[in-house]
Amino acid sequence: MNNLKVDALVIGGGIAGMQAALDLGDQGFQVALVEREASIGGKMITLSKVFPTLDCCSCITTPKMSAVAHHPNITLITYCEVQSIQESGAGYGVAVLQKPRYVDESKCTGCRQCEYECPITVPSSFDRGLGSYRAIRVPFSTAVPQKAVLDMDNCLLCGKCEKACPVEAIDFTQQPQHFSIEATTIILATGFELTQLGAKKEYGAGKLANVIDPLMMERFLAPTGPYGRVLRPGDGMEPTTIAYVQCAGSRDQTQGIEYCSRVCCMYAIKQAMLINGALPLAEVTVYYMDIRTFGKGYEQFYQNAKAMGVEFVRGKVASIREDEKHNPIVKVELTEEGRIVERTHDLVVLSLGMIPTASPSTFNLLPASDGFISLPALNASPSAAQRPGIFVTGAAGGPMDIVDSIVTAGSAASAASSYIREKTGMKVPQQEVAYA
Amino acid sequence: MPEKLKIGVYTCYCSGNISHTVKCEQVAKVMETQPDVVVSRTDMSLCSDAGQSQIEQDIKELGVNRVVIGACAPSLHEQTFRNAVTRAGLNPYLYHHVGLREQDSWVHTSDGDGATCKAMHLMAAGIAKARHLQPLEPIRLEAEKQALVIGAGAAGLRAALDIARQGLRVVLVEKSPFLGGRMAQLESVFPTGEDARSLLHELIEKVVAHPSITVYTQAEVKGVTGYVGNYGVRILQHSRGVREEDSEKMIAACPRLVPDEFNYGMTERKVIYRAYPGCCPRGAAVDWDYYLDHPLRVDGKEIVLKDEPKTIDVSVGAIVAATGFDPYEPRQGEYGYGELQEVITLPQLIRRLALTKDDKTFQWNGRPVRDVALIHCVGSREIEGVDEPHEDGQVNNYCSRVCCTASLHMAVELHEKFPALNIFELYQDIRTYGRGHEDYYCHAMEGGVRFVRYSGEERPQVAAAPTGDTHPVLIKVKDSLTYNEELEIPVDLVVLAVGMKPRQIDDLVNMLKVSRGTDRFLLEVHPKLRPVETAVNGVILAGTAQGPMNIQESLSAASAAAAKVLTLLGRGKVELPPFVAAVDAEKCNGAGACVEACVYEGAIALQTFDENGNEVKRAVVTPANCVGCGACVAVCPNRAIDVQGWTIAQYEAMVDAIGMSIVDLVEAA
Repeated sequence: MNNLKVDALVIGGGIAGMQAALDLGDQGFQVALVEREASIGGKMITLSKVFPTLDCCSCITTPKMSAVAHHPNITLITYCEVQSIQESGAGYGVAVLQKPRYVDESKCTGCRQCEYECPITVPSSFDRGLGSYRAIRVPFSTAVPQKAVLDMDNCLLCGKCEKACPVEAIDFTQQPQHFSIEATTIILATGFELTQLGAKKEYGAGKLANVIDPLMMERFLAPTGPYGRVLRPGDGMEPTTIAYVQCAGSRDQTQGIEYCSRVCCMYAIKQAMLINGALPLAEVTVYYMDIRTFGKGYEQFYQNAKAMGVEFVRGKVASIREDEKHNPIVKVELTEEGRIVERTHDLVVLSLGMIPTASPSTFNLLPASDGFISLPALNASPSAAQRPGIFVTGAAGGPMDIVDSIVTAGSAASAASSYIREKTGMKVPQQEVAYA
Repeated sequence: MPEKLKIGVYTCYCSGNISHTVKCEQVAKVMETQPDVVVSRTDMSLCSDAGQSQIEQDIKELGVNRVVIGACAPSLHEQTFRNAVTRAGLNPYLYHHVGLREQDSWVHTSDGDGATCKAMHLMAAGIAKARHLQPLEPIRLEAEKQALVIGAGAAGLRAALDIARQGLRVVLVEKSPFLGGRMAQLESVFPTGEDARSLLHELIEKVVAHPSITVYTQAEVKGVTGYVGNYGVRILQHSRGVREEDSEKMIAACPRLVPDEFNYGMTERKVIYRAYPGCCPRGAAVDWDYYLDHPLRVDGKEIVLKDEPKTIDVSVGAIVAATGFDPYEPRQGEYGYGELQEVITLPQLIRRLALTKDDKTFQWNGRPVRDVALIHCVGSREIEGVDEPHEDGQVNNYCSRVCCTASLHMAVELHEKFPALNIFELYQDIRTYGRGHEDYYCHAMEGGVRFVRYSGEERPQVAAAPTGDTHPVLIKVKDSLTYNEELEIPVDLVVLAVGMKPRQIDDLVNMLKVSRGTDRFLLEVHPKLRPVETAVNGVILAGTAQGPMNIQESLSAASAAAAKVLTLLGRGKVELPPFVAAVDAEKCNGAGACVEACVYEGAIALQTFDENGNEVKRAVVTPANCVGCGACVAVCPNRAIDVQGWTIAQYEAMVDAIGMSIVDLVEAA
């Protein structure tokens, strides 16, 4: 990878980063987009349908991925990691590590012959471990770029892929490469991770067979998912009673996460509605403290779910254990009735919260008390980080849903564009009257 | 010799949205047999990069020269596929999009066979149309590198500044005489506790100082013509009536007092006034709505002020609607509002506390306040059939997003200032979702604020307490935190945490031709694909005109709006779709029926031509003004007009295909 010089560097190719890159590229700026994974698309591409419109997620995400890949002003670099950001010249010098794919990107056509020949099957991180893929593979069917990547940790070096490849793209000798990007401005779109499924021992510490995280449920519900249906992972049974435990990774001092993760109410309600379609006979219960459907159209979405028969029970779940058939048993105080009950479900989804993916310190930034990148001028320049010329979009700046992430992408792009123009001494046109 | 038709047909599964109902493989198979079809494929998600690449490859390798895609609604991805087709070197208008999702699979979920049959007909019609498609070019026009921003609240100011900083000129129009909007009425803002007006003034100073921005106060939009890139906007600006240097003596001379809306009517101000000390512009202004031509005695002379409104016409490429919100005004008697003096709204309390900042005790109507209750969700989360509908017959069934945190912020501030005060929060769900918002909830609980959870179906009852009671007001409420116990809470003051409603901007909505959602806020095209754009190209939304938002969110949305304006106008050119009327001059006899039928100014006119020495009249279309509605097509006696891309011949071919039975469709092959 050669060193690059661009107007703007976007770090993170999820929905927020892609949108920010597109907004800047469309204005004519030269943009580099770097992504840690082998494909862009972020968390959103793994989802099923998205609230409140219930659009299929790929209908929104894949065209954006494609637009990024084809954009004349955007240089897309996947499978690389930012190591440091230093002030340099008029902007920043960014050290990036290109991880070896062991596949020559310039030759690979995405034909997947290597994948078909590979004898090693590993759990698919794209399917959150529910499905499997090969040690060498195109990351997923709609991946951008459509280039294979070899997972060396699991490779036997059997050489079958090398033989199968019609264009001689396999290269076991690839080494990590360092390169640098010079950019006037940087947009951080590093996104979020879910809190740990096993973080709370009261909820089974991640050891209960039929207690899953919400992204697993997304894969069950997604048409591209591993089974194409909703099953419980413990024994493959079709669940008939499913429970959502809200605030399982948020608003919880014992986990050190005191903030609200903003998205869990809506994704739980959305999944409940989708389960209603996938398993019409299943009963879905949501155990909650407060239902926070605050966005545009969200309250109506909640009311629709109630009307569809989703049961909402107010009460903080105290603990979850399982019976001998691995059915999770939820112990909850029903605050509206004043009693504590135990209810058995076939499957429990812990509505986990969000924590930041990247440590702000990588970018020489201080984290706020919640661990996300600090935004010191929330009520003036909401996307500005502490360092001049560095802007933040999406969940890197705190838990946020897709709708809000996309708006903040536009906001960060706008701030970055203003910054580049002012930094490079652009003249502004004069109005005849300043104040009339 | 005309080029041989080679049609590529693609039936998208839409990740199951279509294929769960429609048997896409069967559809593809039948389409493959249609005349001129050289390839018929299916795809899990055609809009993905792999799907688009397949289409490009077929164009390049199989020589496909017409493309028919059956997928989602064209509003979603028609442009996506046009781009793909263009990349492969084909004219983008040689592609036709069939809506198999919204028009078929989503509306016939329980009838798979019927839906599959319908899909075949729709696709066959698409193929029939594709045979008649001709290459078209978009209409390319110069764009004004200037934008209009309507409303100078936080969002409008932010949008104006961001647009100007990125190199366009801005005209900022504000209806009131002063800048700042609703944010100026706030004191400390969550989650930082910063002073609202200090934040606002930093922004205002930058806007006013920016050489690319012109600000018009006391101004309203009176007319909008044109289209993206070239809007003509007529602005009416009232006189300020007072020179800045004369402000003090004019205010002093003004005899008339009116309710001060800045303090929500709790105080009075002069008709010649400043909104608040330090407001911008600094000079006083005349409120012409209340000015009754009364002579003012200034420097020993009697003068009468006159409003001499100016009309200003500006040309702009885009319009940003930042018209903001009004706090919900409770109905007479709603929770005792308007009937009991001790029932006020949260915005009123914020103003009252600001006016009595130095008081050591909390008083209301001369009585000490010992117990105060804040009621959440007033004018929000209303339930049809339970809550009384508003004037337009609707209830506000949306959440107003800011009131929970605003109420708790108030509770925490009250507790800090008056530690002995008993505070009750009557709520349904506490929605402190934002960064730092939950802290207010925690602090309120730690500070002893008492929470009572009511149900939207049984809202709290507020009434005057029986005479002789210790408190003037009695609230009755069922508390689901104590197992639906019926509580009676005697209080000295009830504060209604009112929601947001859109401003009364009917005229503007009509002029801009934008739509509103069921919540009556302005409607975006799509919350994820085009979150700040309206269906009217070039009209962009910023802030609470679109829906409830807090300050941070409004500013974000405003900056995003600015980015969109730059994308549209930054290059000084706009492209409009070519689907406009086109006249066949050979057939036109200048009858003029089209001109009479046309409702769009300047779209079609008769012009005189010289034809072999004879003067003849022919209809001529100005494409930029034509919207392609087809009204002219319908009335033309000679069938001399067609809408490009949607011609009569194309429609006829589509109707013929739809009219065929499936057997015919298969046999026609």
